[in-house]
Amino acid sequence: CQKKDIVCRFVQDHFDHNISPTIGASFMTKTVPCGNELHKFLIWDTAGQERFHSLAPMYYRGSAAAVIVYDITKQDSFHTLKKWVKELKEHGPENIVMAIAGNKCDLSDLREVPMKDAKEYAESIGAIVVETSAKNAINIEELFQGISRQIPPLDSHENGNNGAIKLGKQTTQTTRRCC
Amino acid sequence: MCATEAAESLLRSEETFSACLARINTIVLEPLLQAGKPTDENKGKDNLKLLLLLNDRFRALWDLTEENHRLLKEKFSISPSLCLQDLYILWKGDLFLSIYIHNELCLVDWKPCSEFWKTHKTALKQFLADFTSETSIPVALYTVLHKPLRDHVQQYALILTRLSEAIGKCPDQEVVTSVAKQYAKLQSFISQVLDEACLTKALWKSLGNKLTEWLCVPERRLLEDSKNLPIFASVGRTSRVLLFDDILVLIQGNNCQSFDLKLVWVDGSAICSSPIPTSCLNLLVPLCPQAVWQWKLNQAVRQALNGKRDFPLWGEAGEGSEPPFHRCFKYVFRAEGRFKNAAYEGEWYWGKPHGKGTLKWPDGRNHVGDFKEGLEHGFGICLIPLLSEDKYDCYKCHWCEGKMRGYGICEYGNEMVYKGYFNDNLRQGFGILENPSAEQPFKYTGQWDNDKKNGYGVWDDKDRGERYIGIWQDDHRHGQGIVVTQSGVCYQRTFHVDKMVGSGILLLEDDSVYEGNFTRDLTFVGKGKLTFSNGFTLEGTFSNKSSQGLQTQGILNTSGDQQDASITKVQLGLDEFPVEKRWQGIYDQFLDFLHSGCKEEMEESFTGFHIQTSKELRKSQEYLFCQRGPEDVSGKIEDVLEELVQHRELESLQCYLQKAFKSSLHPLGKLLKALTFAFQATYSGIGANKHLLNMAQEEVKYYAKKIWEFYQGLLHLALEQKGQPLAKTEDGEKRCDLNAYGVILPLILPCFYPELFMLYMLYHEKEDDLYCQGIVDLSLFPDVKLLEFLDVQKHLWPLKDLTLTTNQRHSLIKDKCFLSATECLQKLITTVDPREKLEILQKTYEEIESTVSRVVERDYKLPMDDLLPLLMYVVSRARIQHLGAEIHLIRDLMDPTNEGGMYDFLLTALESCYEHIQKDMRLHQRESWYVSRDP
Repeated sequence: CQKKDIVCRFVQDHFDHNISPTIGASFMTKTVPCGNELHKFLIWDTAGQERFHSLAPMYYRGSAAAVIVYDITKQDSFHTLKKWVKELKEHGPENIVMAIAGNKCDLSDLREVPMKDAKEYAESIGAIVVETSAKNAINIEELFQGISRQIPPLDSHENGNNGAIKLGKQTTQTTRRCC
Repeated sequence: MCATEAAESLLRSEETFSACLARINTIVLEPLLQAGKPTDENKGKDNLKLLLLLNDRFRALWDLTEENHRLLKEKFSISPSLCLQDLYILWKGDLFLSIYIHNELCLVDWKPCSEFWKTHKTALKQFLADFTSETSIPVALYTVLHKPLRDHVQQYALILTRLSEAIGKCPDQEVVTSVAKQYAKLQSFISQVLDEACLTKALWKSLGNKLTEWLCVPERRLLEDSKNLPIFASVGRTSRVLLFDDILVLIQGNNCQSFDLKLVWVDGSAICSSPIPTSCLNLLVPLCPQAVWQWKLNQAVRQALNGKRDFPLWGEAGEGSEPPFHRCFKYVFRAEGRFKNAAYEGEWYWGKPHGKGTLKWPDGRNHVGDFKEGLEHGFGICLIPLLSEDKYDCYKCHWCEGKMRGYGICEYGNEMVYKGYFNDNLRQGFGILENPSAEQPFKYTGQWDNDKKNGYGVWDDKDRGERYIGIWQDDHRHGQGIVVTQSGVCYQRTFHVDKMVGSGILLLEDDSVYEGNFTRDLTFVGKGKLTFSNGFTLEGTFSNKSSQGLQTQGILNTSGDQQDASITKVQLGLDEFPVEKRWQGIYDQFLDFLHSGCKEEMEESFTGFHIQTSKELRKSQEYLFCQRGPEDVSGKIEDVLEELVQHRELESLQCYLQKAFKSSLHPLGKLLKALTFAFQATYSGIGANKHLLNMAQEEVKYYAKKIWEFYQGLLHLALEQKGQPLAKTEDGEKRCDLNAYGVILPLILPCFYPELFMLYMLYHEKEDDLYCQGIVDLSLFPDVKLLEFLDVQKHLWPLKDLTLTTNQRHSLIKDKCFLSATECLQKLITTVDPREKLEILQKTYEEIESTVSRVVERDYKLPMDDLLPLLMYVVSRARIQHLGAEIHLIRDLMDPTNEGGMYDFLLTALESCYEHIQKDMRLHQRESWYVSRDP
């Protein structure tokens, strides 16, 4: 399950993964510094199965960013990604930060989706794009830092949090049901 | 002179005195008594009474003398020498004195009947050597009756003085000396009494007829006259002051004013007497009365209060010589004013009712309670009889300076009962007026102003089965209002003096909605728009001619494209009655209590009685005059504040608050109780209408906020009183987390849960029905089938948990998989606290995870792709009936800091299961719905 791997990699690379409560690999939190501030990522997983598609809005409502994962070795996963982007554009929160992650970049021999296609597409929708490898921990940190940079500063009281810790609700979206 | 000699002279003296008394008796008293009977005039009657009294006293004196004589004789018969202890007179001095005093007073008062004695002059001659025919009979009689007594007292004094001189210095001398002094004083008292009688007689002659007639009473004696002894160093406006033994009289020209001595207070700077608390006719003389006057006044007051005369000596001070400042007696007010003709019985201070007392008017009105400076102040019960019937209005209330103010209960003679706040004798602030037993029972819960319903309030018309929730003005519905009815219909209108004006929105029980004008019996009139629950609309002009049913001319739109799903669930009252404007009267009282510094004596007046049932309150007559029982001690506000400070850490705070909320004595408990009344008045019974859900929900949250505010206020006050102002930054951050949601809401929610949850159930009724059908359908699947149906990956199926009997196969087993998780989730309905519900949800997840980990034999972190189907499986097996209501209640009432966090995620996951089960089945449902609608 690659989205799970990405999230787990992101969360586990740091010391604080034991402190925050988690729900398996479905809900995780992580705090990363960004400039003078700390961003706390509350990462919600969604079920990728088609039959649960209609439930997705409940998960992405109110989120500040979405990570959509496709498999660079599978062209159709890139098509599914486009469907998700379209849905988020139409029904998602305004100003949601979108990030596209082409996973399994360690398997570039089997690549079906060219880097160029992904970049062009990402540009057209104003999204962040990175190719990652959850397996080898490539670009995972960069992916989230990229998101962090794009999150507009929130009023400190907006989420009932105080002080320097900012709370941005993040949703990881994946298009793929399994790895 | 030794004791024996003294005794001998005493014996002699007693012997002669006794003989003398015997002669007086036979010659004077007996004939008098025989002759005294037939007189029938009033004056004669008085005189006879006095004569009888005199006779009694005389006999007592005689008996005493005889007894003393007998005792002394006895002693001498035993031994010829006596010691001091044998002298009866020394040890029973007080008894002797009081008998002599009574005799004297009696003699002075008695006016002998001259007529009778004219015929008995000769008899008197036997006593009086110098008796001539010129001597008047009364004088002669006085002399006859007085002289032996005076002589005898003188003899006592003489013997005792000699004795004390003779025995020399020893402890006994003091005793002898003091008794001797007493007898000397008695001598002076006898002459004082005679002087007073003479002075008084002289006064009656010198005063004008009018004054004499008004003031002259037989027993009255003049004690001092400002003519003889000027009362003030400088002359005041009063020309003459007379001090009698029962009254103080001021004479100004021909007018005079008299004051009951019991009502006179004197100190170094003023004399005060105020028979009428409300008028300003007080005699309050700010000038220093001269010391002698002051002393005389005080002695006179003291004697008047004690009801007996004694003979104090000038300058004698010490205990009991000053009249008490706090007194207790009965007095009838005579002067103009509110208290005219009312009798006050109770405690006084400086000329005013002060303390506990009872005030009774001749018309039957009465007030029992606390007084302060002449006015009702504190708790009091006032009965006001109604003119027409044998009924009365009964106010059990707090008073302030003569007026009702603060919390009170009024039971009106017409069966109505008001429980709430007063100000200036008028209903003001929050209050409940109820008439449960009348033909048209009603109940109003809400704001009062100027004795009338004014502001936000709820009116229950039990007869019509209607409830009005909205704005009042001068006892009329006036402004925005919501009406809910027994049948579930509900509408919102603008009212103008009880009449509905303009258009409104009418929400019918079949989910159709009418916007426009309609009458009170729900007939559509004029232009309007009717939206049916299927989305069809009918827009036009409606009319209703009698018995011809509804008529309309308009356009029916069957496209359904205007269907707005939200209209069937439209929420009323949110903009019209902002939550902070509801029940202000309750919060105000509690915050005022806080701002006034939480004074113990003000507590009840601000926060209401702690007595829970009206039955108990009826007994409050008793409560008035007895100190509060020991069980009430714990309710003292000082203790409350003290305890408050000690419980500031989260856990002990929760514990403390929980106890406080349950207590009918604690201010926090009282606040919660009042809010519960308000909440139930609005949302219970026919108020259970889904269109009121948001009003109710935001109200409960606001309660929590206000209670938290009140708690914080109490805490600040408590710390301030201890001199530790709350300004600690180190725990400031921690405090932030302990907000209304986290601490208060879970604790108060049980009070509102039944009504609130009912609203959620009604609001989500349709969804819950669909979901239930889904659950029923899914319950037909065996476990394995259901797991397959929900696309749970096969390697996660917990088949090894299943133990099969010989006849069973895996595929037919039901309700066995994920049993621990299912059972855990079912506990959701056992708690009202949203946080606890969320914890149950988390545990359910943990149960799923541990089951899965056991199945796959390693730690398995479930991604959503796996978790959601599993959760759906558990939810469908848990079969929680009103899951939609539960989910939304949790979401609305959970701590907002949970937003986006783990609990939010879990709740969203649960909600998505609920939605899925509902929608999955909705497809089937729709099909069948169309089929059934088709015929």
